[in-house]
Amino acid sequence: MQRRDFLKITAISGAAATLDACGSPDHQLIRFIPEEDLIPGIATWKPSVCTMCAAGCGLLVRVMEGDAEVVRNGQLGLMQMGLAKKLEGNPAHPINQGKLCPRGHAGLQVTYHPDRIRTPLMRSGARGSGEFKAISWDEAMQHLMAQLSSLHEGRLPGRLVFLTSPLRAQRRNIATTFAGGFKDSQYIEFSFFDEGVVRAANSASFRHDAPPTVELGQSNYIISFGANFLGTWNSPVAQSLGYGAMRQGRAGLRGKFLQFEPRISQTGANADEWVPCAPGSEGALALGIAHVLMQDKLRSAASAGAAGELIEGWAQGLAEYAPEKISAQTGVKAATITRIAHEAAANGPAVALIGDAAAAHTNGLFNTLAVNALNALLGSAGKAGGIQFSPVWNPSNDKTAGAQEASGAEAVRKLAEQIESNANSVGALLIHGANPAFATPAAWKLRRALEKAPLIASFGSFIDETSIFADLILPDHSPLESWVEDAPDSGSLRTVVSVAPPAVLPLHDTRAMPDVLLDLAHRLGGNFAKALPWKTYDEAIQADFAALYKSKGSKDAKTTDDFWSNAQQQGGWWGPQEDAAQGATGAKAASGSVKYAAAEFDGNQSEFPFHLMPFASQMLYDGSLAALPWMQEAPDPMSTAMWGTWVELNPATASKLGIKQADLVEVASRHGSVQAPAMITPGIAPDVVAMPIGQGHENFTRYASNRGANPISILAPMTVAGTDSLAWAATRVKIARVGEGKLVLFGASLREEPPDAKRR
Amino acid sequence: MAHQWGMVIDLDRCTGCEACVVACHAENNIATVGEKEAARSRANHWIRVERYYEGDFPDVKVKFMPVLCQQCDAAPCEPVCPTFASYHTEEGLNGQVYNRCIGTRYCANACPYNVRFFNFYNPKWDKPLNLQLNPDVSVREVGVMEKCTFCVQRIKAAETNARAEKRDVRDGEIQPACVQSCPTNAMVFGDLSDPNSRASRMAASSRGGKLLEELGARPKITYLQRDTWNGDENA
Ligand code: SF4
Ligand code: SF4
Ligand code: SF4
Repeated sequence: MQRRDFLKITAISGAAATLDACGSPDHQLIRFIPEEDLIPGIATWKPSVCTMCAAGCGLLVRVMEGDAEVVRNGQLGLMQMGLAKKLEGNPAHPINQGKLCPRGHAGLQVTYHPDRIRTPLMRSGARGSGEFKAISWDEAMQHLMAQLSSLHEGRLPGRLVFLTSPLRAQRRNIATTFAGGFKDSQYIEFSFFDEGVVRAANSASFRHDAPPTVELGQSNYIISFGANFLGTWNSPVAQSLGYGAMRQGRAGLRGKFLQFEPRISQTGANADEWVPCAPGSEGALALGIAHVLMQDKLRSAASAGAAGELIEGWAQGLAEYAPEKISAQTGVKAATITRIAHEAAANGPAVALIGDAAAAHTNGLFNTLAVNALNALLGSAGKAGGIQFSPVWNPSNDKTAGAQEASGAEAVRKLAEQIESNANSVGALLIHGANPAFATPAAWKLRRALEKAPLIASFGSFIDETSIFADLILPDHSPLESWVEDAPDSGSLRTVVSVAPPAVLPLHDTRAMPDVLLDLAHRLGGNFAKALPWKTYDEAIQADFAALYKSKGSKDAKTTDDFWSNAQQQGGWWGPQEDAAQGATGAKAASGSVKYAAAEFDGNQSEFPFHLMPFASQMLYDGSLAALPWMQEAPDPMSTAMWGTWVELNPATASKLGIKQADLVEVASRHGSVQAPAMITPGIAPDVVAMPIGQGHENFTRYASNRGANPISILAPMTVAGTDSLAWAATRVKIARVGEGKLVLFGASLREEPPDAKRR
Repeated sequence: MAHQWGMVIDLDRCTGCEACVVACHAENNIATVGEKEAARSRANHWIRVERYYEGDFPDVKVKFMPVLCQQCDAAPCEPVCPTFASYHTEEGLNGQVYNRCIGTRYCANACPYNVRFFNFYNPKWDKPLNLQLNPDVSVREVGVMEKCTFCVQRIKAAETNARAEKRDVRDGEIQPACVQSCPTNAMVFGDLSDPNSRASRMAASSRGGKLLEELGARPKITYLQRDTWNGDENA
């Protein structure tokens, strides 16, 4: 099309954004009855919930009328309907208060992704071949029902396993209850960054099985041990809001932020003081600081209460952790440790955070318990600006139905092992939201197990490395097309129960996963129907809100119905400010039971001289967002790299090995190797190499497939001692230049020095 | 007096997260170009986050700086445009009239801030990604220069609303997409002709400065320099 034609057309239609529709045979399609109550050109904002990570930020979806190709009852046609135009933070939502992270924005591209699965699919080629044929929902449900009822009635051997990303609220309840209806069934929650270690440690130290909620805006001194809390860790938007206020939100008061980590993260880049430390030494460092606090009488051992006493040698002042003694092992000067302890003691509220790689060493649990003890000693546990916990609303549904629940990477390893040893032991594997074939070490051979499992059904929206093994795919709505509800356990000190009706009508022939489970439960009848009495997912959510109203009441709603409709309009219900501040209430483990643990690494130091430090990609997160073109093309904050993977190296290391910027480098562990271009950066220790997680997909849409490398694939199969989480920072590697490579950087032609904005 | 729209960016708050970058893509129908074109420096980001490393390991410091069109009062991109496609609006915006632009790219050469992007091809949205396009914002065609507009569609909408309600635009009522999204509240947008607007007051901070001020382009974005922690000031 010529530009002049284009201008003519836009002048007539007045809607410049229809460019792509021009000249297409859209006019030949039949038209469905338009959605009602839409005024062309007028935007409405509908609440929803972000599902791009576990933080659970509240959304407002900007919806405007438009024409879309949709499938209804198997028929393709055009429909005038509400379309989601932009995602914004919901200003009323207590977690993100109107703000969003970059990943949250890109949630829009899930709904309108060109490679979304549009209808139910049935495998038509060999397992894993990616050959599927479209089938109707009736066929899909009949097929699945036949298998499930045989399994339920014992006509087929094996157990049902429901493998899902971590779920919350009624969605979780429906999934666990459904799974629990089958004899000896198992419900496994898996995501690469699952905070399992932090949860386990917080349960032991503070009796809260949740990540902390820290009002950073009230902190004066923040010590972070590796937690990328301004980027991807825990509840990044809530934490960023607090951080901004900590820096410049209080007249005359600016807090200090210090980060310990061997590779500078986007978060560490903002620190007032960035202190590299040896990988896995974070717990020793925390106890070194604690030692100084006690030794120099800045705090008393007893003041830390139970969280301190857990640590062996606490009451005696942790003499083994004296700064001079741990300096060599941690790589941090004794004087620095002492100074930090004094600064933190004098500038309360001081708070210590730990996450990401620091918690993903084999001694991650020890590190996290040590940091918890430091928090208790600093007096930050349960205090504003310190470690607190969100009050959480738990649906009061009875949990008698008995699926065995497991979580963490270890559960996936055991599943692979189980199928491997007896393929018929898992009669049906239902998969939702998780992509373990991508996100677990190749050494676990999960893919080989998936090839053998008798029946795999996936609820995914995309073909990925896991769902490609499915026999049946029953595609879920996108979150914007679905009822959403959530009860996050971090991010706000108010109770948060989010809910929203679908913001837009579904584009494709999809069904909400919980609705499919409820339908199956009705067909299965008996105990299933009794345990899951609701006809639809929204009925189930409504029942939960009725229970919430009964238990919490509300000033603004006279009846349950009012309460329910208010919640839908607002995007949820939040508890009053006062019901907040879940303090830290004493430890669960025995005094002195936490002993020093050194980090163990896979691969000996002489053959594998480098620590491999994988890290969460700011845009692609754990790889689940690699399908989204906005995320692929948004420059990485630390390197400006787009559309690929890279290996970060210290300049001294690079020159010793003869590696130049963008050279192709092979990174090899005992378990495999990957290749990626070199990114030479001063922000990494000479004995560490770092790679972003997220790329290296084989089958994951046109945008992500066959691009970059997946460092997870070469990780050693090590777990964090005392937990079921993968010790993903425990792998040693060797590196070598293998040829010329290519980095795609943004603004490569820009100046290298910061322009000095002159002070007035 | 007409409004004079401007912005203040507090570098002590900015964390380099790039929520602003993706928010701008979503709001302004900015097309992604794919790996091959991105490798030829043709990716479009009306706002970008520059990052600078200082020092050697282990004494490393990093600075982030979001850079968008500075909406200069003496904009070097304006006088060089033979067709007045790049022009100054009454409200102090550096406007870009797409249907006047003939693609000389003189403006991009003249801009000291590297914030102008040329459409080497017709933009493409793989269907149905086109459904997300914002109908309030033109899609730019091949041969046309584009850049940050200060989200002029949001400014106009707010002004129209205010006029209909017979009042002036309230301070803080207009939020460009980047400002609205910023998780640390690092960016503040407002009317610099109103000395009491939040942006005016913040721009007067002792930390304030302009980007490449010595070039004399008179940018309307003030950067507040990163602050430091002064030892035991809080003790
Ligand atoms: S932090 Fe970002 S991705 Fe996670 S829920 Fe919030 S907006 Fe979504
Ligand atoms: S969104 Fe805000 S904090 Fe993030 S990079 Fe942009 S200006 Fe900085
Ligand atoms: S003001 Fe609008 S157009 Fe300019 S960078 Fe921000 S979001 Fe983009």
